[in-house]
Amino acid sequence: MNKIWLFFMLLSSAALADSKQPDAQYCLVCHGSAAQGNAAIKAPNLSILPDWYLRQQFVAFRNNWRGGAADDAHGKEMQAVANTMNNAEIEQAIAFIRRQAPVELSADLSGQADLQQGQKLYQQCQACHGANGEGNAQLHAPPLAGQHNWYLVQQLSAFKNGWRGSQSNDSYGQMMRQFAQSLPNDQAIADVVAYIDSLPLPNR
Amino acid sequence: MSNYFNAPLTRRQCLGLLAKAGSSSAVLGAAGIFGLTNAPVSASPVMLKPLQGKNRKVLILGAGISGLTAAYELERAGYSCKILEASHRIGGRVLTLRHGDFIDELGSPQICPFDDAPNLYFNAGAARIPAHHTGILHYCRTLGIELQLFSNHNKNCYTQDDAAFNGQPVRIREYEADMRGFIGELLAKSATAGATLDQPFDEQDLDKFIQFAQAYGDLDSNFTYRGTDRAGYAAGGVTSPAILKQPRPLPDLLRSDFCTGAMHFAEIADQAPALMTPSGGMDSIVKAFLRQLTTPIQLHCQVSNIQLQPHGVAVTYLKQGESYTEQADYCLNCIPAQLVSGIENNLPADYVAIMRQLGRGKLTKIGLQAKQRFWEQEDIYSGISWTKQDITQIWYPHHDAFKAKGILLGAYSWEPQISDRFAAMTHQQRLATAIAQGTKVHANYAQHIENGVSVCWQRMNHMLGCGAVWTEELQKTGFKLLQAPAGNHYLIGDQLSLHPGWQEGAVRSAWHALADIERREALRSTGAGA
Ligand SMILES: Cc1cc2nc3c(=O)[nH]c(=O)nc-3n(C[C@H](O)[C@H](O)[C@H](O)COP(=O)(O)OP(=O)(O)OC[C@H]3O[C@@H](n4cnc5c(N)ncnc54)[C@H](O)[C@@H]3O)c2cc1C
Repeated sequence: MNKIWLFFMLLSSAALADSKQPDAQYCLVCHGSAAQGNAAIKAPNLSILPDWYLRQQFVAFRNNWRGGAADDAHGKEMQAVANTMNNAEIEQAIAFIRRQAPVELSADLSGQADLQQGQKLYQQCQACHGANGEGNAQLHAPPLAGQHNWYLVQQLSAFKNGWRGSQSNDSYGQMMRQFAQSLPNDQAIADVVAYIDSLPLPNR
Repeated sequence: MSNYFNAPLTRRQCLGLLAKAGSSSAVLGAAGIFGLTNAPVSASPVMLKPLQGKNRKVLILGAGISGLTAAYELERAGYSCKILEASHRIGGRVLTLRHGDFIDELGSPQICPFDDAPNLYFNAGAARIPAHHTGILHYCRTLGIELQLFSNHNKNCYTQDDAAFNGQPVRIREYEADMRGFIGELLAKSATAGATLDQPFDEQDLDKFIQFAQAYGDLDSNFTYRGTDRAGYAAGGVTSPAILKQPRPLPDLLRSDFCTGAMHFAEIADQAPALMTPSGGMDSIVKAFLRQLTTPIQLHCQVSNIQLQPHGVAVTYLKQGESYTEQADYCLNCIPAQLVSGIENNLPADYVAIMRQLGRGKLTKIGLQAKQRFWEQEDIYSGISWTKQDITQIWYPHHDAFKAKGILLGAYSWEPQISDRFAAMTHQQRLATAIAQGTKVHANYAQHIENGVSVCWQRMNHMLGCGAVWTEELQKTGFKLLQAPAGNHYLIGDQLSLHPGWQEGAVRSAWHALADIERREALRSTGAGA
């Protein structure tokens, strides 16, 4: 028993000294030094995301709405971290991210996408995500403009194949999954993401 | 015909089977992450010319083996260096775990629960050094590091495969003896058909070849395999007559995947005997560098911005949320490329693009503390048992025989899918899995294991992978570009070698960059008037 207590005491003090400093600098290891995201780690741009959305995603990871699928290795990475964080640490992390200025990413025009088709497809997105991809807090829809295009593709696919939005109590996820499923194929995903990618970064 | 060839199987069928086995190199292929393909040719160590009064500042990013090597060589030549290291410790992927050590895995932080004893340590990263890795051995020699022999291949260890022998473990000694016997017999008896061989093959050659086949398989005078003492005796052999073990039928042997992969592991140049390892843990190398170095090493300094300047490099880092900037003439950077790709920089776009394409190697190691050295009761001292389950391997300590306790390696996988499965588990689940699967190799495994550590390198803080995975295509198009300096910035580390996953690659990448700096310094001196 004593031994177990000692173990946890050591663990919490050491953990504090290392990966879990109160300043939450550790977020930047994966998400990039300005929270701008990192393609090599498949970590999204956090600098453009509002507090309420970050908080909502911590809930989603802890509820197994994200990262639960067996093959979702990237989702599981974040889920493991979210599961070690208490509420205070989550708030610290969000406050830390808030201090990072929004990072505008240059649009990637290398893909074989049809912007016009993408704009058409985006019409069904804009009711929730806004005409400029600025997001809508009331509707719990995150901003999309300024997010990495590979991340948007990855998440649309995740909604489509049920990694996200297939759990009964994840109502926002379920709603998004329906829209993702209405995109017929990878080309449609590429088109709509290309259109989002062309939107300028709105004010946060 | 010996009864070894079971009735329903014709020799032609056997040959077909053999050919099939020969072409299937799944395990070896997967082991490509260890850089098995080509053994590095030895190089002479760098010896930088002294700067002779010139002032040159070098910032070294990351206290990995390559960063330490660079600092050691540079400071000896009069460069003033500083190492910025993000984590709480020095050594990077050279990580020897002992009692009380903090394991900084994102999402699975642990404190090493081993007893506090000098023999209870676990090399969670680098563990072995082949003799032709002359770069890292150069430092072992010159820094006075004591080495021990390390064994990858111990015939007394086991191979276990659910598909063969009812899942029962079989001694590698027995498996290999029978397999060789079969191959020897097949060779000896088909060699007379030497006409099929392309090269001229005279009577003498043929005779020698048959003798080879006989020796290879330990065949009797009729070139028939009837079992061998190479497999160990079933009984007797010292004070009473030896009784040989009954050979296992070939079809049974072939049901195990051992013959198509792991059996040949120690044939790989980098894995072949004799291997070495520092006494007391691989981090003896790190400690030896630290004994020599006067260069300051700043821990908890997470590099956040790298800016090339006309005559140097400016590096910004975060320390406890505060940011600091330093300038230097040169910057040597061993931060893993997948993390550099997330650090703000003004490096050339094509340079960063290659970093983003490098794969993240996924390696998992589990270390288990055993109350008793039960393996010694099974005549095992060092070496590796193999199983087709996710744990893949069990390693027995090569050191401290007969001590009360010992640290086993309870799992080691470099298959991405397997490592993903371990990563998805909690630490306790990983240990439970390692113990459950190990029980198929050692029946009473669970009762011997007291505690353990688990390390998924793709989740380790400030690492997020081991090591850089270069596709053949990317190596062709990108390696030279990434190896060359960008301005006065050099990316180093085993990632910038054709030997990723080995300290040798790290050392030699540093030497490569240092030689280039020296060349530029020489140009600067001669071109001073221009
Ligand atoms: C499981 C496993 C088994 C291995 N087995 C062997 C073996 O048997 N034999 C062998 O020779 N080699 C082996 N290796 C490989 C060997 O460990 C590596 O080749 C070597 O340690 C790599 O050294 P490096 O200089 O490239 O840097 P690394 O060790 O990768 O060090 C990089 C450093 O950069 C730091 N860093 C990261 N981000 C930042 C930042 N933002 N700012 C500042 N610092 C940062 C990290 O904390 C780390 O200290 C193994 C590795 C693993 C993981």
